[in-house]
Amino acid sequence: MPASIPRYLLKTAQRLPDKVAIISRERSATFGELLQEALTTSQCLREIGLAPGDRVGICMEKSIDQVVAILGVLFANGVVVPILPRLKGPNIRHIIDNSGMVAVITDTDRLGEVKEFAGVTRLITGHGAVTEDWPNLPYMRRFVQALNGFDRIGNDNAAIIYSSGSTGRPKGILIAHRNLAEGADICAEYLGTGEDDRIGCVLSFNFDYGMNQIWQTIRQGCTLILHELALPNDLFSMLARERVTALPVMPVFLTKMFDRRLKVDTSRFDLSSVRYVCSTGGRLSADMIADMRGAFPTARIFSMFGLTEAFRGTYLPPDKLDAFPTSVGRAIPDCQILVLDESGEECAPNAVGELVQRGATVTKGYWNDPVNTAKSFRQHPRFPGETLVYSGDKVYKDENGFVYFVARADDMIKTKGFRVSPTEVETEVLRHPEVVEAVAFAVPNITIGEDVACAYTSADGKPIADAVLKQFLKSQLPNHMVPAILVHFDSFPILGNAGKHDRKVIKQQSFARLGIAPPAHAA
Amino acid sequence: MSDTTDTIDILIEYIRKETGFEGPLAADDDLLTAGVLDSFNIVSLALFAQERFEVDLDGDDLVRDNLAKLSSLAALIERRRAEQA
Repeated sequence: MPASIPRYLLKTAQRLPDKVAIISRERSATFGELLQEALTTSQCLREIGLAPGDRVGICMEKSIDQVVAILGVLFANGVVVPILPRLKGPNIRHIIDNSGMVAVITDTDRLGEVKEFAGVTRLITGHGAVTEDWPNLPYMRRFVQALNGFDRIGNDNAAIIYSSGSTGRPKGILIAHRNLAEGADICAEYLGTGEDDRIGCVLSFNFDYGMNQIWQTIRQGCTLILHELALPNDLFSMLARERVTALPVMPVFLTKMFDRRLKVDTSRFDLSSVRYVCSTGGRLSADMIADMRGAFPTARIFSMFGLTEAFRGTYLPPDKLDAFPTSVGRAIPDCQILVLDESGEECAPNAVGELVQRGATVTKGYWNDPVNTAKSFRQHPRFPGETLVYSGDKVYKDENGFVYFVARADDMIKTKGFRVSPTEVETEVLRHPEVVEAVAFAVPNITIGEDVACAYTSADGKPIADAVLKQFLKSQLPNHMVPAILVHFDSFPILGNAGKHDRKVIKQQSFARLGIAPPAHAA
Repeated sequence: MSDTTDTIDILIEYIRKETGFEGPLAADDDLLTAGVLDSFNIVSLALFAQERFEVDLDGDDLVRDNLAKLSSLAALIERRRAEQA
């Protein structure tokens, strides 16, 4: 079967029309209903002029209507562009402009904010009461008979996911239908996701990891249960009530699920249905592993790793977790992980080199950005005609072929499940009238991965009150990007004669003043 | 002004400070749905409420239905205050 999510949904809906595909707080939908809603949505979108390949933003609360909007865009031969609802204006505007977006599907809670930055882009609400007041998909669907005009092949564009880059604004990662479909097959294979599974989905559909849960559900004919993880008691009672079997998480979720201050006694919940817990987006600490095993004694635990440019790269088989707890594992099926030295040769075991990935999950490049695409998406003489992802990340492989992470390419800060670019933080800190120079960096924080920290110098040489500077930044930046730690310098050390800040020394001096040991290894 | 209104005002002040949100905040808004609170700062809000109002909230209190709306959180605080006074 040609690889695409719409074809997978068509097939599963024919096979299991009345099986419940997706459950949320408000409602549930069978595969038959999901297909019908996706098809009618695609027709609505065509009727307002959506042409094949057009980019459509999705800025919605996690809901079945959001899933339908995403599928509707795919069925309409469009390209899905998630917009993280809490991004501040300039980033939303950048995503709209950079992708050349023709429409945004949003909801009433976000309409006001999106409207402000949407410019001439068309706005549609994708949920809510059936109303004529505003272009509204539930209303429009009543007048439409579904037509199956889906004509994309596996190589066609399916989505653009914007992710923070090291230089300025987020970069859009261009994803083919084939990437999404094969991502579903690969994950279902190594995780063993099957028709009887019930996936508890706490992840956001604005990122590839969360979206992949939709794709696996559609491919395998299992059931997806949507849940907004705010408080652990609600999560554990949902897992028990819904008899959830599969739980994809991130380390940052685990620290919340098992936050001691919230006094959660997991033994009160029957969590015996959970077969596997998988995690990506940061290293699992020994405490996290112990907490998971305590709460889910029968579950297999998968530690995974990936580059957004290739969705997923490695996973550690659950039976290897105790023997190799600091490894990110081996390549996922249908992909290969190479560790290359500077001349492009493969490194010997335990020698550090650059992580390079080839295979089915390698995306098409950065949208509208040939310069950065040429840097990261390259060919290798051993694989003529094929594009590989060069991550820039430093890793090594041991004698068993297990991969270990050493350092990131560009010192991206990983906080609360987000990748934060130091450059983006610095840009905003520098907007404060008193700030002269700024250097942002990561400070390890076991609860949220890393804290965003920023060293700065000021015009009058005096520190700005933390509260004042943070308040200023909160109006400019999404919360996760506002530095938790601010360090005032009288002046910055300069590197050589290039007029550049010596970031390394600034970071070292900041660590010394904060009284913390600098990290030996980042994960 | 009733105790509940005071409580809600204090909670609103905290949320504005914590999130930088400047739009309207009504007692019956679902702040999670509206995107004002996320899964991180709702926990901070709960911990702030415990400390600020000197009430002991147990695990069963710390659920979405009690925390997502200012009206329900204020009611919970008042209830616990009365019991624990």
